[in-house]
Amino acid sequence: MATQEMKSMSAMEQMKPHAEEPVQPVEEPASAVELSVVIPIAERYDDLGQIHAQHSAELRHLGLSHEFIFVVDGSMKSALGQLEPLKREHPEIQLLAMNRTFGEATALSVGLERARGRRILTLPAYFQVEPAELRHMMEQAADSDLAIAWRYPRVDSVLNRIQTWFFHRITRLLTGTKYHDIACGMRVMDRKVAREVHLYGDLHRFFPLLAYQRGFRVTEVQVRQSRHDAGRRIYSLGIYLRRMLDILTLFFLFKFTKKPLRFFGLVGSALLASGGAISLYLGLYRLFGAGAIGNRPLLILGVLLIVLGLQLFSIGLLGEIIIFTHARNAKDYEVQEIE
Amino acid sequence: MSSEKALSIVVPLYNEEANVRLLYDRIRAACERYGDAFEVLFVDDGSSDGTVPILKQIRQQDPRVRIVKFRKNYGQTAAMAAGFEHARGHNIVSMDGDLQNDPADIPTLLAKLDEGYDVVCGWRKKRKDKFLTRRLPSIVANWIIGRMTGVRIHDNGCSLKAFRGAVIKSVTLYSEMHRFIPAMSTLAGARIAEVVVNHHPRQFGESKYGLNRVWKVALDIVQIKMITGFAVRPALWFGLLSVPATLLGLVALVIAGSQYLAGSAEGWVISSTVAMLLLFLGAHLLSLGIIGELAVNTGDYRPQRPVLPTIRELQNPDGDPRDEKHECHGTDEATR
Repeated sequence: MATQEMKSMSAMEQMKPHAEEPVQPVEEPASAVELSVVIPIAERYDDLGQIHAQHSAELRHLGLSHEFIFVVDGSMKSALGQLEPLKREHPEIQLLAMNRTFGEATALSVGLERARGRRILTLPAYFQVEPAELRHMMEQAADSDLAIAWRYPRVDSVLNRIQTWFFHRITRLLTGTKYHDIACGMRVMDRKVAREVHLYGDLHRFFPLLAYQRGFRVTEVQVRQSRHDAGRRIYSLGIYLRRMLDILTLFFLFKFTKKPLRFFGLVGSALLASGGAISLYLGLYRLFGAGAIGNRPLLILGVLLIVLGLQLFSIGLLGEIIIFTHARNAKDYEVQEIE
Repeated sequence: MSSEKALSIVVPLYNEEANVRLLYDRIRAACERYGDAFEVLFVDDGSSDGTVPILKQIRQQDPRVRIVKFRKNYGQTAAMAAGFEHARGHNIVSMDGDLQNDPADIPTLLAKLDEGYDVVCGWRKKRKDKFLTRRLPSIVANWIIGRMTGVRIHDNGCSLKAFRGAVIKSVTLYSEMHRFIPAMSTLAGARIAEVVVNHHPRQFGESKYGLNRVWKVALDIVQIKMITGFAVRPALWFGLLSVPATLLGLVALVIAGSQYLAGSAEGWVISSTVAMLLLFLGAHLLSLGIIGELAVNTGDYRPQRPVLPTIRELQNPDGDPRDEKHECHGTDEATR
């Protein structure tokens, strides 16, 4: 943890993680608690006192020893205003705040690093799922590495449902997975999942897919959606654009991580072929004296397509070199057991 | 490299419950002469059928059998790579788990290996597959691979191969490179030979391949060509690609100039467009080469070499100087 600077400030612990380099997890501590509850707090949050009270009541009911870890993404005055009294009341709660906004994925991974429990429950900072469903969730999670909540049936607005449907449609199409509600923040995981899945950028939304890709058993558990989650959500255009780029990133991670030429080569040669066809057509057109082509935009299109095709192809080759030089350290596979 | 065993047999398995016990019996029959000095390494590539329970039964009866079990299906290359990594044998034999390879060929391969080769490939001279969808594409692909990589063997796709353990362990395998193991092992300076082996038609289970992989294999060949030829000097490779673009661009530029002087308005537009784009392409390729050089020089493996050369210590000072493949200088010189 040499890259982290820790100072204690009143009831708070301030952390400064380096978003670029993943912090090495601390050596496995002797696990005293059965379940760590990690709650990252980013843009959207409900009454955090209520979140804590209702969920910890459910967990006490289940007889699980647990710890709560709240990670605040940046200095959010009102969230901290809610959490500081909570910490005074329950000193065993871990309260972490990052010095600036790093994004929810970083907040989540900081929380996961701190978790000492044998298993880890992540919760959104707002009511997505009825807290009473926690019991069902924990039961179903017993024999999988990662259990994710699937809010079904949905009670929220039609607009939200359309967005969700569309988002999952594309994700499923591009990654070949079959999950219904990957973005729901309620997840129960074995601690080895938290240790192995690396989160950065906006990838916390795709946590189940990343875990699946590393070969963990992921199951979906149907739970009742909270009625607090029903409000209509319309995001700015930029958010939708970013979501699409995230899916695209994931698509690459899933299909082409170790074979960039497969993708760039395919797209590149298609462009090259169409550019070649256009240029050939124009060349013949002029050779046989059918007219001038110097004033036709098609000429520029044809030549540009050839150049773009060759460029994409060569970028794919460059990608192959990068992969080759790193392949010795980045394994393709995860071994479950050796006998 | 210290080896505990004389021989390791590496077998990737994916849903082969019908074949695995028979396969084990045949391997044992072929290798019994090694006694305790051989091991069989079954790599389970995330099978969903009864393969793993059967393997565990076999292991209980015969401790020479070892199992590497993947969390999920990662493909044949990954299974082979994992098998090579965990194999402890001085020599390693790889083979398919579908009984199409005959374990009885193992002694033949090993005898060839002992003649002084590092990689001995099986050649399914009398292949028992459909001609149009399996054998013809294979003949074409092997011919192209031979031309492109300079490793002219008849049958790259045959899984039955024997390796000197130290050599194959130094070869980096990933993606879908199992078809190109001979070409990749030339990076380490391996001496390659091939021998004719038996091939049986498939008895149980289904073939997991079809014809739809032609384009993938074509792109893979380009990739292998580049890696085997230029991975440690990308600036050269991209530089070579950029030369024709730049030269053609210059020619087009000269033509454009002359057309401008001659007053041909349309011809001058065409040729200058072509000239500019070709010159841009040349510059683009050149700069990609420089980025590639950066990638190679800053890779995580910096303390190691991107390619591990095989080294032989020469005993006889009067030996043929050509025998001296690589000298170990402790620098990257040997590979550049």
